[in-house]
Amino acid sequence: MTDIQQTVYVVEDDEAVRDSLELLLKSDGKPVKTYESANGFLQDYSDEMAGCIVLDIRMPGMDGMELQKALNEKHSILPIIFVTGHGDVPMAVDAMKEGAVDFIQKPYREEALLEKIEAALEQDREQRQSLTEKQEIIRRVNSLTPREREIMDRMIAGQANKVIAIELEISQRTVEIHRSRVMHKMGTHSLAHLVRMVLSVKDLID
Amino acid sequence: MTELVSDNAEVTVLLVDDNPQNLKVLYETLKDKGYRLLIANEGEKALDLAHRHRPEVILLDIMMPEMDGYEVCERLKADPETSDCAVVFLSALDDLQAKVKGFNLGGADYISKPFQSQEVIARVRTHARVIRLERELQARNRELQGDQTRILNAIDEGIYGLDEAGIIEFANPAAAAIMGCPVEDLVGRNFFDLHFSTASAARDNLPVMATCRQGVAENQRNIRMLRADGSGFPAEYRSTPKLEDDELHGAVVVFWDITVELQNEQALEDAQALVQEQRDQLAHTSRLTTMGEMAAGFAHEVNQPLTAITNYARVSKRMIAGETPDLDLLRETLDKIEAQSHRASEIIRRIRRFVKKPATGKEVLSVSVLLEDTRQFAEVDMRNNEGGIQLDVAEDLPEVAADPIQVQQVALNLIRNALESSRAAAASEPVRVTASRCGDKCVRVAVVDHGVGVPEEAEEKLFHPFFTTKDDGMGIGLATCRSLIQAQGGDIGYERPEAGGACFFFTLPVAGVEGQPCTEEPA
Repeated sequence: MTDIQQTVYVVEDDEAVRDSLELLLKSDGKPVKTYESANGFLQDYSDEMAGCIVLDIRMPGMDGMELQKALNEKHSILPIIFVTGHGDVPMAVDAMKEGAVDFIQKPYREEALLEKIEAALEQDREQRQSLTEKQEIIRRVNSLTPREREIMDRMIAGQANKVIAIELEISQRTVEIHRSRVMHKMGTHSLAHLVRMVLSVKDLID
Repeated sequence: MTELVSDNAEVTVLLVDDNPQNLKVLYETLKDKGYRLLIANEGEKALDLAHRHRPEVILLDIMMPEMDGYEVCERLKADPETSDCAVVFLSALDDLQAKVKGFNLGGADYISKPFQSQEVIARVRTHARVIRLERELQARNRELQGDQTRILNAIDEGIYGLDEAGIIEFANPAAAAIMGCPVEDLVGRNFFDLHFSTASAARDNLPVMATCRQGVAENQRNIRMLRADGSGFPAEYRSTPKLEDDELHGAVVVFWDITVELQNEQALEDAQALVQEQRDQLAHTSRLTTMGEMAAGFAHEVNQPLTAITNYARVSKRMIAGETPDLDLLRETLDKIEAQSHRASEIIRRIRRFVKKPATGKEVLSVSVLLEDTRQFAEVDMRNNEGGIQLDVAEDLPEVAADPIQVQQVALNLIRNALESSRAAAASEPVRVTASRCGDKCVRVAVVDHGVGVPEEAEEKLFHPFFTTKDDGMGIGLATCRSLIQAQGGDIGYERPEAGGACFFFTLPVAGVEGQPCTEEPA
């Protein structure tokens, strides 16, 4: 499986914090891109971005919480690590409810921050991978003919070949041929796997 | 025979003669001349009338039976009631001896018999006028002396008349009361020896000495005088030289005990100090409250450089751990650490300075430096203000004389209010802080926002204690601001800008300029 390039996006208005964080992450070997305002990041944002955001919660103009909302509206799945100050715990809690991955309070230890970044990147990777897998399943489901799709639905519902043949008024042999094609197109040999795949995208098909 | 002849005359003339014929002639001569005429035909009656009516002029016959004119005159002069009457002798005796005797007994004049009526009229008129004037003069003198005594007795200040050596010639009752002894015990004593413990040691420098010796008026407050019993008290005195024909004859000293005065002054000073202390205390509390409100902002503000320092330090360690450390980059990173630690300590310095107690007192200040410092201070609080703070200080602004912390407290308070109001109105325009000259004596600082503004009915009460337009306000901020600015000799106020929002301003006196507080309208 091809590994996508993950970047740590740092959104921080304070120049010294931004500069030092960039140096730190780069010295740890991570690709970094920095933005001095939430707006700057939002303008740059695209679905293609992979990695995570390290986001200062207090900023002039659009603040961290507002950027989170704007990204949610764009269905971004980039995990967000909020950087908060001393009195910002209530804001951080709200941010978590809105789906932030984690938050870290300034001043932080490097290990703690890197751990959280690693975890966020891992989550991003998983989300992306599972997203990729689901998209593949959907593609495969969509490649089935209507007849094959119907046969598959009945297979998943647990109907035996004989029952399917009687109900569809076709020969049992024909059912077996369709069934073999479904398994082939869906790329599996196991009924159990087929069931699990289709259920994972149940909400996304039809 | 005694008779009251004319009732409404101003001047009374007593005619005394034992010869009824003579009395008749005299009466005829003087009647209708405007005198009240009394007549007596013998000495005892004459004395009795004179005593009761105090005639100005007495025409007195010398040769009378029983009591002659000389004896009558002698007795008239011996009676204080009648001693000032003008006695004019009447006699046929025309010898020098008789006249001399008459004058020696106090007679004023002499008319020889037989009288010429013209002469009688003229002499009576002359003596009547003289006596009347004399009596008026005496009455006036008595009045004046009475007034003087009453004044001297009535006033609370002690008064001494001293001769040139400092001997007390006169003392009023108040002086005796102050010194705690009778007036008699004071008169004749030496003023300096009696009232000053240092009289023997440093005589030349004693109070009043220069007045007694050189005729220089003096006025001193809070000197220590001794009472008759040797106890001391604080006094104030004024001394003026007694001059007669440019010659120095001692001094008049007016003095009073200022014990109560000093106590009152002390009490007033104490009260003022207490008010000042409480005002400082309130101002300090208000500064602490402001800092409390801004605590989250400050924590953030201090954490920024700390975070950067931690990050840079990690990077540096990692560089050193590498096989070939880039020394230039390392030095550059260490410089950044240094800069950030300065930044952190500067923030802490600013906070500490702001909450310091008591305030530092008046200094000569640059308004532009002060406002720039305040702007950075306030920015801690404006993380979510879109427009920020725009500072606009006139170039040739003179320095002001004020307490920097208290002025900063006021400026910060106004700017924070403006930021809060702008936030509430989601205004995108910045809060404008301007400083400009206002007349010769003042600098005017204005804070203008485009926020929610002040309700019209609230304008008047804005600076009243416990008045607030904020839901969670205490109504202390602006009242404290006013008290602080007035303590600087400045003024604070509110104007309604036409474009909406609010404009608060205050004035401060230009350094080195004395005069009225800065209250005039901007030029």
